[in-house]
Amino acid sequence: MSDRKVAKDVMIGIFEYPHVPYWFTISQAIRIVKVSFISTKKYPDPMAILVFDEKYNLMGTLTLKDILRGLEPQFLKPSAKAQVAEEDESALSLIWDTLFDKGSKEFTERPVSEIMTPAKYFVEPTDPLTKAAYLMLHHDLILLPVLENKKKFVGLVRMIEVFDEISNAMLKE
Amino acid sequence: MELIDRESHQKLYHQLLSIIGKKIESGEWPVGSQIPTEEELCHMFSVSRATVRTAVLDLVRQGYLKRQQGKGTFICRNMVSDGLVMTASIREQLFDEKLNISTNVLAKTVMMPIDELDVMLDIQPDKHVIYIKRLRLIDNEPILLQETYIPYHICPLLLEEDVENQSLLDICEKKFGIKITSVNSNIDVAVINLNEGRLLKQAEGSCAILLMQYFYSGETLILYTRSIKTQNRFQLIMKHERKII
Repeated sequence: MSDRKVAKDVMIGIFEYPHVPYWFTISQAIRIVKVSFISTKKYPDPMAILVFDEKYNLMGTLTLKDILRGLEPQFLKPSAKAQVAEEDESALSLIWDTLFDKGSKEFTERPVSEIMTPAKYFVEPTDPLTKAAYLMLHHDLILLPVLENKKKFVGLVRMIEVFDEISNAMLKE
Repeated sequence: MELIDRESHQKLYHQLLSIIGKKIESGEWPVGSQIPTEEELCHMFSVSRATVRTAVLDLVRQGYLKRQQGKGTFICRNMVSDGLVMTASIREQLFDEKLNISTNVLAKTVMMPIDELDVMLDIQPDKHVIYIKRLRLIDNEPILLQETYIPYHICPLLLEEDVENQSLLDICEKKFGIKITSVNSNIDVAVINLNEGRLLKQAEGSCAILLMQYFYSGETLILYTRSIKTQNRFQLIMKHERKII
């Protein structure tokens, strides 16, 4: 990219997203999703909650998908074993009706730290957007934290801004 | 029965608060009795659940009502100490100054208001709240567990401050120029949960004093503190003086 944009040029503020400490339960996170996004009809892209530790350090992000995955019964999760034949999803049709039923309700009391996507990767405010793009693509991230001096959490880079900047460069004659 | 006047300029929850207050004052709803459920109050006064909740929580704050988890809301008007107006400077002076007091900051982070905290703090449910959890010790003996909730927009820079060696009220007043003008203190008995018991070195299920304090600057609620004090050789000291007119 010719004008070499950096992370701080496109990052958004962290208060655009709800914050929770890691000990909040999935049930509390669900209620936060409802009051922050669904009842207010604010649908930011992506819809996520930021999870912090007791010293206000970012620990991870929690998307709607993470929450639903956390409520899914264990036996439906992919097996870690090697050389297991792929499951035929149609064979599971009998259990669709009960997929998020009684058993899942018990899971709602688990802490969000068990189901969040840990924040392992980040960029500095002055890092090029290409670095952000690389990290997001290779680690399948929807949000990338921007940390000042590897410590102070100052913003978030989203895929939409990364895409916009890179695609602009591609289309430039 | 007095009803809500929808033509009035007064907010619905203020009207409802006043109606319930009159019922308590007049003895129509006697001390110790359970008030109707939120749903019944919505029906009785044709108002929303949010209006009922705001009015009820305000009366809890003022010490007229007491909520009991899983049981309901009860009238405790006789617990309010009338005529005591705090005129001295309000400080976080819960213990005698001569004691060797130390503070462990267990948490200083940001969260969303849950479990009716939004109504208690008088903020929108999607607004951020600063959460501070501190364990007060005397001669290294855990005495008091304090959890403080402050709407983030009131003083966002509080997160940068040292809350181990400074009083929160001093920080608010001296650094941020927020003058605390009044405090509502509600005292109750709490049953200690596992986590609290571990920190306070008490058995889960044992009883402790619960002090809930609401600090105001004018009409604005600045912070809410929930403190749990166990039975030990120390006492909480709260000084009040009768206002001289």
